Amino acid sequence: MPRQRNDILQGTLALLVLRILAAQGRLHGYALTSAIHRASADQLRVEEGSLYPALHRMTQDGWLRAEWGTTEKNRQARLYTITPAGRKQLELEEESWARLRDGVTRVLKYT
Amino acid sequence: MSWFSRLRNQFRSDDVSRDIDRELEFHIAERTDELIAAGMRPADARREARRRFGHLGDHAERTRHRDLFGWLDTLASDLRYAVRSLRNAPAFAVAAILSIALGIGANTAIFSIIDAVMLKSLPVSHPQELVKIVRDDNDVFTNPLWEAIRDRQDMFDGVFAFASRRFNLAAGGEARRVDGSYVSGEYFSTLGIRAEAGRLLSRTDDYRGCPGIVVLSDAFWRSEYAASPAVIGRTLSISAHPFTIVGVADPRFFGMSVGDHPQIFAPLCSEAVVQGAGSELDHRSSWYLQIVGRPKENVTPEQIRTRFAALAPAIIEATLPPNWPAEATADYKRSVFAVAPAAKGFSALRSTYKKALYVLMVIVGLVLAVACANVGNLLLARAATRRREMAVRLALGAARARLTRQLVTESLFLSAVGASLGGVFAFWGSRLLVGLLSHGGEVVSLDLTLDGRVLAFTIGVATLTGLAFGLVPAWSARRVDPQAAMKAHGRGVTDGPSRFRIAKALVVVQIALSLVLLTGAGLLIGSWRKLATLNPGFRREGVLLVAADALDTRVPDDQRLALFRQMLDRVRAIPGVQSASLSRLTPIGQMSWNEVLQTDGFTPKSEEDALSWMNAVSDRYFSTMGIPMRAGRDFDDRDGAASAKVAIVSEAMARKFFGAAPAIGRRFRIQDGRTWSDPIEVVGVVGDTKYNSLRDTAPSIVFVPDHQREATANARRLEIVTNGSIASVATSVTAALVAVNPKVSLSLTTIERQIDDSTRLTRAIAMLSGLFGALALVLAAIGLYGVMSYTVARRRNEIGVRIALGAERGRVIRMVLTEVAAIVIVGAVVGAALSATATRLVTSFLYEIRPNDPATLAISTVVLVAVGLGAALSPARRASRVDPVAALRED
Repeated sequence: MPRQRNDILQGTLALLVLRILAAQGRLHGYALTSAIHRASADQLRVEEGSLYPALHRMTQDGWLRAEWGTTEKNRQARLYTITPAGRKQLELEEESWARLRDGVTRVLKYT
Repeated sequence: MSWFSRLRNQFRSDDVSRDIDRELEFHIAERTDELIAAGMRPADARREARRRFGHLGDHAERTRHRDLFGWLDTLASDLRYAVRSLRNAPAFAVAAILSIALGIGANTAIFSIIDAVMLKSLPVSHPQELVKIVRDDNDVFTNPLWEAIRDRQDMFDGVFAFASRRFNLAAGGEARRVDGSYVSGEYFSTLGIRAEAGRLLSRTDDYRGCPGIVVLSDAFWRSEYAASPAVIGRTLSISAHPFTIVGVADPRFFGMSVGDHPQIFAPLCSEAVVQGAGSELDHRSSWYLQIVGRPKENVTPEQIRTRFAALAPAIIEATLPPNWPAEATADYKRSVFAVAPAAKGFSALRSTYKKALYVLMVIVGLVLAVACANVGNLLLARAATRRREMAVRLALGAARARLTRQLVTESLFLSAVGASLGGVFAFWGSRLLVGLLSHGGEVVSLDLTLDGRVLAFTIGVATLTGLAFGLVPAWSARRVDPQAAMKAHGRGVTDGPSRFRIAKALVVVQIALSLVLLTGAGLLIGSWRKLATLNPGFRREGVLLVAADALDTRVPDDQRLALFRQMLDRVRAIPGVQSASLSRLTPIGQMSWNEVLQTDGFTPKSEEDALSWMNAVSDRYFSTMGIPMRAGRDFDDRDGAASAKVAIVSEAMARKFFGAAPAIGRRFRIQDGRTWSDPIEVVGVVGDTKYNSLRDTAPSIVFVPDHQREATANARRLEIVTNGSIASVATSVTAALVAVNPKVSLSLTTIERQIDDSTRLTRAIAMLSGLFGALALVLAAIGLYGVMSYTVARRRNEIGVRIALGAERGRVIRMVLTEVAAIVIVGAVVGAALSATATRLVTSFLYEIRPNDPATLAISTVVLVAVGLGAALSPARRASRVDPVAALRED
């Protein structure tokens, strides 16, 4: 039985996170999952188990900056913002995504 | 992640994990809120939120994994695991750690001596700036030359001269010698040494006619005066002359030569206080000073050389030795002065022991290699028994890299423990070694304190060792196939051959290296045995030697020979003295004397060819020393100072200078400056003896009556043969000699001691190489035993089947021994090939044995094969005793 796969393709999670943070400024992890979910019109769902390690890795790599802040519900949350290095990385990821998409589309169209 | 940020994380790892926990808590709280908003009951909502997250701890683990914290955490668990698994195999752990400890300990011990002798700088300020002055290839100078250089030079901030001496602190009777130095005024200031107490010497202390003053070393001050400050101003006696103590030097300073520790520093000028009229301060041919300077800033060695070239004519003109042959004078006038680095000091020790130390370093390196192979093999055997464990872990999803890391951690841990223990061995070993190299009155003292270099060496060796033997099991674990390994207990299935191949290859390496070490040890021990038992042509034991020095007596020069004669007569009168004689020197005693001879019928090829060794002796010297008279007569009362000049010659001298014809009655002359002595008639021929060293072939020696050659002498040797033990007579000899003149200084030794001292380096190397050879052999035997025991254990089933099918026990033993023999033979062949080149390294320590001596190689091989088969005997017997029923019922 064919199965609908809406897990985020490996490697594109970083692209999505960077894109959303570039557009929306400061977000915590939970808001990021919701944002991806919403922005993809409920097509994409982020596994929590993938998101947080990715956020940590991206922070270590210097693409994101993380700091503790308070949400409107007065909870302590870790808020992420994109850094200049992150923006550069976003460009790279967008390009490579565009190449991948073009390639895949061509293959689907002409074979 | 860069190592830097990993490191940074180390310091906030607690923060990191707290952050992660808080962040995940937040996420779950948000999700719960959302689910409640969607209509779920709060408890269900919380459970669902958590479920979506999976196991909370897992997440924290995965996110944290990239931090050093995690890395260290793994390391700690690896170490814990290593300790636990080693505790479960104590025999293995002890064998492995001891192997490593011995290997690394031996290496560290030898290296720390090399470090002290070759590499350590002097403990003075900015030692790398110091240079020594050389004239052509020579670094000794006369005092006039030193003064000429000192007064003319302008290239140095400070420059000083010094000479090592053994000062006699006793005022008469048996000498009490202490290492000391005559030093010029700027010695301490140039070296930058501070005073521990009192003051040091300065330029104003060093002038002609100065009184005797001394500075003590800190060690001497402590041992002799209990570090009492009251010692300043007191006097001590050097050769019976009073010297005032003015200060104590810095504790860290041990002098300018590595290996000897001057305890007393006296100004150069005070040499005249001791020597009186015999002072060498104005002698233009007494070469005894070394010169060291600290060049001015930015003055290069090349500039100094150029400047010296300009100064040289004036320096040479002022110091030209009188009465030199024209050729030597011309040579002297062409002298070129230059400088060479002096940061590591001057050391005769360095040149004497350099070769020996490097040979020892190679030897201990080989021992370490054998030890490594041994530990590698032990680990391999262990890896085999742990194969199932590894397979289970692989099957449960452990990464191969993780397993490799675990194994390497274990190896490094082993080698770290071994190295620590080895450090302790090295501490004792290096001191023991220095003791071996010291002899008689001359104590070699070295600064063996641990420095960074030795520490780095040990850590480096330990790490390399750990990696070397740790990679072996890791390499073999690499190919563990979980399925096969889990099944491996099935009947009849034996291990793949590869593991045996590695293990056997390691044993072959061990055997080959052991053979190299054994052969080398065999050669060195053989040489030493030859030296220790050869007949030097004179009695090699049972002779008491007394060196009597009349320098400090007030006896006039022309009466000194009579004084010595009187001493001889007194000694001969002592009951228990069988025979006694006087001589200028005793053979193998570090003193020598030679002259150019002229005879009819012998045309020398060069001046050197006309040289003969000399000695001046009293009557009965030959009978006392046990040298046989071959022809003619001994010296006696006929040979007075005024009588016709006579000589007794060795057979080698007779052969060389007089040919086949009888030498008795023949005459020869001795070169005397530019002329020749009166003819000297040969009245006796004696058997050949060694002269300078036991290694010499017996040379040409001419013996002349003591009083015919010289009118005076400062020192003489007495040879005394006693009826009973030497010790019982020694006291009465000393008493008798002191009674003759209490100011004569005496040193007592025996001919055995004197000969032993001359072979001590050979003996030390022979002993050490034997020790290390035996060690390597034991390690190789353990390796062989281990691998055969293991083979037998793994083949238990197969052997059981063979026995069940009727194989005789003897046949089983033969089967195992054949396998061992194959290993040993391959090892021996490789070892023999290696030995052929490796033993050349020790050539200069050998005596009458060639490095590729077939007998030594054969004996070493036989020993090796015997030990190898011996080691395999017990596993072979065990194999033959396998109970087929029990073996087949297993599993």
